Amino acid sequence: MSAFLQVLRVNTKKEFIEMKRYLPNTLSLLATFYIIFLALFFGIQVVGDPAEASSNTQYIIVNYVFWYFAMMTLQSTGGAITMEAMRGTLEQLYMSPVSAWRILLARVFGMVAIHLSIMVVLIFASMVTTGEWLHLNIGAIIPILLLTIISMIGVSFIIAGISVIFKQVDAFLQILQFILMAFAFVPLSVAPYLVFAPFVKGVDMMRHVMIHGYTLGDFTWVDYSWLVGNGIFYAIIGVIVYRSCERLAMNKGLLGHY
Amino acid sequence: METIIEVDGIRKGYKKRKSKEEFIAVDGISFSVRKGEIVGLLGPNGAGKTTTIKSICGLLVPDQGSIKINGYDSVKERNKALRHISAVLEGNRNVYWRLSVEENLEYFSGNRGMRKKESKERIDQLLELFRLEDKRKEIVNNLSRGMQQKLAIAVALMANTDVILLDEPTLGLDVETSYEVRSLLKHIAEREGKTIIISTHDMAVVQDLCKRTVIINSGKVIADENVQHLLKLFETSAYEIQLKETLTEEQLTKLQHQFPIYNLHDLTLEVSLEHEEAIYQIMNILSLNQTGIETINRTQVNFEQVFRRLVKEEAVS
Repeated sequence: MSAFLQVLRVNTKKEFIEMKRYLPNTLSLLATFYIIFLALFFGIQVVGDPAEASSNTQYIIVNYVFWYFAMMTLQSTGGAITMEAMRGTLEQLYMSPVSAWRILLARVFGMVAIHLSIMVVLIFASMVTTGEWLHLNIGAIIPILLLTIISMIGVSFIIAGISVIFKQVDAFLQILQFILMAFAFVPLSVAPYLVFAPFVKGVDMMRHVMIHGYTLGDFTWVDYSWLVGNGIFYAIIGVIVYRSCERLAMNKGLLGHY
Repeated sequence: METIIEVDGIRKGYKKRKSKEEFIAVDGISFSVRKGEIVGLLGPNGAGKTTTIKSICGLLVPDQGSIKINGYDSVKERNKALRHISAVLEGNRNVYWRLSVEENLEYFSGNRGMRKKESKERIDQLLELFRLEDKRKEIVNNLSRGMQQKLAIAVALMANTDVILLDEPTLGLDVETSYEVRSLLKHIAEREGKTIIISTHDMAVVQDLCKRTVIINSGKVIADENVQHLLKLFETSAYEIQLKETLTEEQLTKLQHQFPIYNLHDLTLEVSLEHEEAIYQIMNILSLNQTGIETINRTQVNFEQVFRRLVKEEAVS
């Protein structure tokens, strides 16, 4: 455990340092997302039903911000593997007596922390721009968000596993954006079967909290079972897939290839 | 001395993409390394050096055979084995170019589970040893290639492991920096008692640093010898004959037939003889066309010549 804490410390620090060193890149990413949000917002104002503009805007804020967050979390691990292989540092990570999946997990925690901060900035920027204020019930948001993040991390490990073998997964990640858009935007009331998909239940519960003002007590045990079960399922599958891919890469000599 | 690395009959094949034919990169390689030894792993391109190195590092799983690091199997007990080994596999590409010297050292030591206080002390020691103290806060991207290479070696030393593997530690370095890196490695081996395995094409590194060399060709070990012993062995049999005229086709054919390992450039014939009497056979070949001899000298061989001859001999046999 102590070794993992050290791994977590240095990886979180590295993520923050690199974010600072690549600040223009981070800022332009943030600006791009904000501009797309503005386009969506003004689009709703122009073509949407004026009677439902307020609720639509709230939906857009929540869905859009969670789409951003899911996309960044899922892409960051695959992107990190590709980048490390390209730089020549990937094999160094595998030379650590702390398993590579734990290093990657620590790296994901660091990235999630950064993207959570950006997400908070985006939410406030969106609320200020639209004048629509969401229910920011921290007591309800944090536990649901943490459980939602678990399934996101699980999927990110599946992507990391694929990246360990194929490295160049950019095209796949682009397609993934649209799949994630469906997961973040389509409510469970419209497509109940999406409850099996990763993090959809969590985003749905977040919508209830942030838009309709739900508290933790307003959800049933069935909701929590789905949320926890979904997180555990994808976390386990993610690690299993990742480790299988890692073994395959070591058998085929693909680890250092790019 | 105690054995710290035991490579036992490793074999690794890769399937070619199109033909699905199997290419054998390493075919039954065995050797062992004792604690505190500096061993040079040599071989021409494609000989199987990288496959061997990566297998020792646990980055590649051999199809057959086993590797033990300090008694731990590199596949079955990978994490335990990795506690005893660190490596520089891609030279200056092994470090993060956007982080500073100190940040790199801290990052890689933390990744091995080292505590902050412990790593800080080691960072100070290594920066002093590698004369990088004044570059502590410098972004790696701004350093010279030699400094980046020194940092990569320092990163490998951070973990204070018993064994250090270095793949081409002097590749791309100028003469001065290459000498500095060699001196550093010598110092590390002597003072810190580290076991070092160096895979290189730089024969000066082998001659200067390594006590023993393992030469690999076509996936097999063709020599596993003490470097000085090899040099002596070849020195007694190496001759340089300065000719007065160029050799005819007939002479060259006979030479090739009787002495497969020879070198001829301009009017200088370098030849390695199995026994001293063989010099008379050369005389006979030269007398075929009354080729005059200017001088005959027993030559001082360097390790590059030894290596080339061993590889050539292997190819001929």
